[in-house]
Amino acid sequence: MNDTTLPSAKQTEMLSKRAASSGSTVPTWWVVFGREMADLWLGGKALVLILIYCILVGVISYVLASNSELDLMPANEMVFLTLQTALSVGLLMAIIIGADSLSGERERATLEALLLTPTSRVQIVLGKYLAAISPWPVTMLITVPYLRVLAGGDVVFGPAVFWGVLMGILLSAAFTAFGMLTSIWSSSNRTSLGISLVVYLLCALPVQFPGTAQTGVMGRWLKTVNPLESVDHFLEKILVNNRTVAEMQNFLWSPIIFAAIVLLLLFVYAAPRLRLDGGVPFNWRFGKQSQALALMLALGAGMWGSSAALAAPMTGERHQEILAPPLEITIDTTHAMVKTGDKVFFETTVTNQDSAESVPLILAMNIINLDSEGDVVDPEDWSPERTQYLESLGAGESAKQEWELSTILAGDYMVYLVLIPAPGAAEISSQPLTSPGIHVTVERFVSANPGGILPYAIGGPVVVLAAMAGVYWFRRRGVDMGDENDDM
Amino acid sequence: MIEQSTSLNGAAAEPILVAEQLHKAYGPRAALRNLSFTLQPGHILGFLGPNGAGKTTAIRILTTILEPTSGQFYVGGISSDHPREIRRKIGVLPESLGFAKQMTAIECLTFFGQMYGRSKADAKSYGMELLKAVGLEKRAKSLIGSYSRGMRQRLGIARSLVNDPVVVFFDEPTLGLDPRGQQELLSLVQWVARERNVGVVLCSHDLPEIEEVCDDVVILRNGRIIAQGTVGEVIERGQHNVVRVQVAEQSVATARQVIQALPNVVKVTPITATGDWLLIELASSGEFTKNMEKEVKAQILNTLVRADIAVLSFESEGGRLQDVFFQLTEEEAE
Repeated sequence: MNDTTLPSAKQTEMLSKRAASSGSTVPTWWVVFGREMADLWLGGKALVLILIYCILVGVISYVLASNSELDLMPANEMVFLTLQTALSVGLLMAIIIGADSLSGERERATLEALLLTPTSRVQIVLGKYLAAISPWPVTMLITVPYLRVLAGGDVVFGPAVFWGVLMGILLSAAFTAFGMLTSIWSSSNRTSLGISLVVYLLCALPVQFPGTAQTGVMGRWLKTVNPLESVDHFLEKILVNNRTVAEMQNFLWSPIIFAAIVLLLLFVYAAPRLRLDGGVPFNWRFGKQSQALALMLALGAGMWGSSAALAAPMTGERHQEILAPPLEITIDTTHAMVKTGDKVFFETTVTNQDSAESVPLILAMNIINLDSEGDVVDPEDWSPERTQYLESLGAGESAKQEWELSTILAGDYMVYLVLIPAPGAAEISSQPLTSPGIHVTVERFVSANPGGILPYAIGGPVVVLAAMAGVYWFRRRGVDMGDENDDM
Repeated sequence: MIEQSTSLNGAAAEPILVAEQLHKAYGPRAALRNLSFTLQPGHILGFLGPNGAGKTTAIRILTTILEPTSGQFYVGGISSDHPREIRRKIGVLPESLGFAKQMTAIECLTFFGQMYGRSKADAKSYGMELLKAVGLEKRAKSLIGSYSRGMRQRLGIARSLVNDPVVVFFDEPTLGLDPRGQQELLSLVQWVARERNVGVVLCSHDLPEIEEVCDDVVILRNGRIIAQGTVGEVIERGQHNVVRVQVAEQSVATARQVIQALPNVVKVTPITATGDWLLIELASSGEFTKNMEKEVKAQILNTLVRADIAVLSFESEGGRLQDVFFQLTEEEAE
């Protein structure tokens, strides 16, 4: 504006006339939603988070696929782990965006103008909420190709996408609402982010506990009441352990109840009371302390429960009666030279050389690294079925068994079987019989593109980067950059 | 109490803003006590008071951000019991003015226009006209993050008008602006009131600014009104037996000497750092009439002229708003 030039009388008249004409049928929550979406996606905040996720999921998928190449991990487990990563990062994004939504506006002094409009507080919160949960569908959309490649044609792909989308919606709806609750009640951005992240970590940490800690009384209780653990457990059992939804439905209650409570609290209680200055509309001090105390107690009790389970006493006694029937075990292979990832198939034959019927028999496979400095072998990783149970064999009768071995690591190994006559009573033991060994020599084999995942691992971040560049270009095109601080 | 006045077309106007016994307490502490005033359309009401006087609380109540503990107010006849309806009728330029820096000015005004129920197209074209009115049309598509403070204040004024309000609250609009920017902003404030016939509440610490543009004034201290009325009325209540004279710096000592010697002059003291302004206190006893006051002032001038002292300024009309403000707030403090 030059000097103190004011609008002309014509301009003023025109403004007054224009002011009279109005009328929009668009609800204001939609207007707020539009602005928030532009801020998140055109402003770049969500895109940056998505790019970080894309790089992360690319790396994780590649590592998992590398293991898959060696058959270390079955497809359904890789799919589950990738989905778990997607959920963890998606929820983290949801809670960060939710926690910043109102306290951030407060700090940037933009909330007052919003509260001064005639729009109801609930509509403002609703518009912001819907925008805040938008990263989850995008996260899932990015994850689906990785899941497809990692599934490698396994039937787990369909259920993984279905349950992933559903559980993600449920959890991101709940955690975003929780983040927004803290944002409504906090006067500073740092407080709302801090509280939200601590609660998220408290929910997420038990998932990382060792298996024994999760199977204690409190561990199992936490698994049921902690929405994040419940969903994690539900997905694992459905996708990895082929359990049915009917069997696992109890684990859905916790996330559903948590979501219902925080959503009700957000839209029925907190949103209509949204204030410029923040702060809780009730005596929070006692509540906060007691909640923190309850969380700490639950955590401590969970630890105690699991450690009690760990400390279960081990007892044993030496018995005089040892069962040693005349049995024979043979193997059809003496040695195998393979490369990592190859499978070795062999057969064993068990013969009852006695004149009487044998007791039931148990046959177990074991693998030993012959190199004293080589990697420790976990036989579970090498074979899906390491133990076979045989019925009683008649006098002179033989039985054949088929075995499969997946070679995971390079090195020199001895594979052998142990035949154990079933003792039949608690006070009786038996003498196991060892088979001849198979000398397995495994050479290292590395693929640069395990499971065909490499194009996705590299392509994902590249596509997101290209999208960011496109958004930046589009935005620049519609904006006059001008000279900074040009006061005209 | 500010009563009905005459509108631009000469007809008696109904007050557009009426505050009745507004009271706000935080626990045992009263932040605002029985605030009552009225504002006419087209008038500018200055809201004054030292820090902590209750100005911000009053503005936040009148803009529906805070609820009063008791009392009511009306905007265009709408009671404060209907805050959402009130918000349709008011515009606000808050003291802590924030904008989404990733938005352009026109996007910002379009958004706020839509929030007041305009269609997107209508909000955008009206926003453009407002930007023209505040002189920002050439930077309509610039990111607000690239705006200077003055430009943001002007954009804030445009934003406060997107709903065609009947009352607008400007809270410290010139804070942090250079003198030219201040003048431009004040001109815009006057344009909003005079040309758009909007009632304006102007909150400011800059007393000459209030004196220059306001019609009416309310002075608050400790949450209470200590003076209100037209600017002239409030100044009238100030100290009258005071004259200010500005003389050349080298003549200050001589001027003090010759003026001090005059009858009915009580005290002569320099009032600025350079000492070229002299504050002359006249006698204030019962016999010292208005006519005598005029005579003494004439004597002062004559004496200075006879003493060959260059008189640069002579303020013979009692106090300024600034004097009244200090006088009243100090009296209250005592």
